Formats: sequence, C-alpha cells, structure tokens
Amino acid sequence: MSRVRAGELDVNVQRLRPTVPDDDAPIVVCVHGLLTDSLASYYFTLGPAFAERGLDVLMYDLRGHGRTTRPATGYHLEQFVYDLVALLDALDITRPVHVVGNSFGGSVAYGLAAARPERVASVIAIEAEPPTPEWTQHMAEGLADAKTRLAIDEVIGWIRENHGAHTARLSKNASKILQVTSMAEDIPRSATIDPDLSSVQCPVFALFGGDSGLSAQVSHFHRVLANCRTVVLPDQGHSVLVERTAETIDLILEWVRETSPAPVRAR
Amino acid sequence: MSIETTAASEVTVLADLSAMLRVLLDEYGLDDAEITMDTTFHDDLELESVDLVALSGQLRESYGERVNFATFIAARDLEEIIALTVGELVRYIVASLAEQP
Repeated sequence: MSRVRAGELDVNVQRLRPTVPDDDAPIVVCVHGLLTDSLASYYFTLGPAFAERGLDVLMYDLRGHGRTTRPATGYHLEQFVYDLVALLDALDITRPVHVVGNSFGGSVAYGLAAARPERVASVIAIEAEPPTPEWTQHMAEGLADAKTRLAIDEVIGWIRENHGAHTARLSKNASKILQVTSMAEDIPRSATIDPDLSSVQCPVFALFGGDSGLSAQVSHFHRVLANCRTVVLPDQGHSVLVERTAETIDLILEWVRETSPAPVRAR
Repeated sequence: MSIETTAASEVTVLADLSAMLRVLLDEYGLDDAEITMDTTFHDDLELESVDLVALSGQLRESYGERVNFATFIAARDLEEIIALTVGELVRYIVASLAEQP
C-alpha cells in the first residue's frame, strides 16, 4: 500500500503493522512538519521501532508534500485536519487514534482533537504550538520570510556552504512549494482555537527542545489542560525527532501504553 | 553459496531494482538515468528520502517480507542514508534472500 484516495487527494501512505499481529494494537498516526518534511522523517525514526514494540503505525505525506497530491490552493489548517479525517475514513479506521505531530504536524494534531474529539485518543505534540491566533502570527512571519529568502540563489548557496548539499536541496524544494501553492498565504488565515485550549479535551503529551523557545508554553499548558504531560529536553533545539530519536521513542511508547484503554471488543 | 551464484544474484537483483527505480524516476521525467552498483540514490538519482520509502513498498511487493527495508534503514543515520548506493541495497537484498529461501 502506498497511495490512498482520500477526498480530493492521492495520499502517500506507509503503514507499519505491529510485528506481532494484534487487532487491538493502539493506532498511532504520524503527522510531519511543513515544507522540507515528509513521512520519511517518521519512517526513518519512530515508525519501525513503534511497530516492533506493538503499535500499529500510520504515516502519510501531507497535501503538497512528499508524494501526495500538490493542489495549488487549499492550505488552511482546517483543510489539513479534514484531509486526515478523510484518510482515516478511507482506511476504515474508526477507533480513536494517538496523533503524533512534529512541529506543524502537532498543530494539525491539536486541530483534529478540537474539531473531531471522537477520533483522537491522545495528542503527542513534538515541538509544536496549538493553532491559536498567536500561532497564526508566528506562521505568517516564518512563511513570508521563507518565501522571500529561499527564492534567492545566494541564500541557497549560503545554505549549501554552511549546512551541506542535502539541506540546500531540501530548501530549494521548500521554496518551490511556496512559489507554486498558496501555502504561505493560507496557513496564517487558518481557523484557530481559543488560547484557553478548552476545545482540546483529550490527554496531551507535549515534548520540547529546551533551546527552541516553544517550551515557554509549558506553564500555560499545565494551567489550562486537564490531562497534560510535558517533557523538555535540555540543550536541544527544534529538531527533537531527528536528533533525540531514542528518547522520543521511549517517551511516546510509555505515554501510549498509559493512555490506551484496555482493549474493548464488545460494542 | 558459491561466488558464481552470488554474483549472478547480484546481477538479477540489480536489474530488478533498476526497473523499480525507473518507475519512480519516470514520475520525475528522469527515466533515462544510468543505474549501476556505484550509483547513489541522493546525489546521482536525486531521490529524496520519501522516494526511498516508496521504493520500500515496491521491494515488499517483489520480495515479500523476506526483504525488510525498514530494518535496513533503521540501522543507518541520516548521513549514511544520503550516501547510500544502489550496490549496498543490492547486496542487502541478496543476503536477505539467501537467509530465507
């Protein structure tokens, strides 16, 4: 299985079933970040480890990314949330799922929990912000900056010199997405949720790198969310998933085990 | 297994893998690229990591569960994945097939 028709998209999907077959295995859906990201970030990190340790892992490419369809328009956060619901429907996944979201993927996870609480067992947000009005401001600034700067050859050249050819190529791809789609304009105009996060009722596990700035949300989360765990990894920037993979695997596995209800077969 | 049969398997697997890669490359209009054991996925074929994941689906279709690409990849860090050659994957496939006939 690699492409699934869901709504208006052909979605590139990878599913890793638990190595020891288990129909009641917790389902973990992995949502990647914006622009330079794809399902590969999970396939090369958490995915195989989760399947080996008994989870049913669904990874997919967001619209406009990786090998999923790239429409010219339609990049508001609520569209990404709708796409995820359509994918779960297409795959006949009706049980609540644990949604792991990295960076922007975490915002999608919070968005799904707020819009479709019956579909979500828990949110696991890695270096992410809930889609509040403040978040749209951060996204507007970051995306406008990326759209302007990554289109400049000298900037790509600088990235190649300082971060290598691979990162330079990813940056060029990111620039192309921003030039051919309305992503930079749409995301800042997304529907938002209240800053008091009252629409997020499910358990939340938020993982941060201590150096990225996003961990400033920790005290607010504990104040407003009824069931919330936070972990801040010291001396770590935004790339928690790639640079602290082993710890991330252990922390999420522990969380999923604790928040998964005992299997219920009877309806 | 004799050296001759190993070499023959490598030739066969390289041909199979090349056919799978041409399908991927065709989507980018690059289906005339030369593919040898020394070809790198990233620099020579300009495939991204997500394309390697797609390749894993094709490997599963061809070889079933005997070739576990996820395990092969999980043992490598990002730098190693970027530097990966077609030959390394061919040898892994041949070894996997030899283990579980």
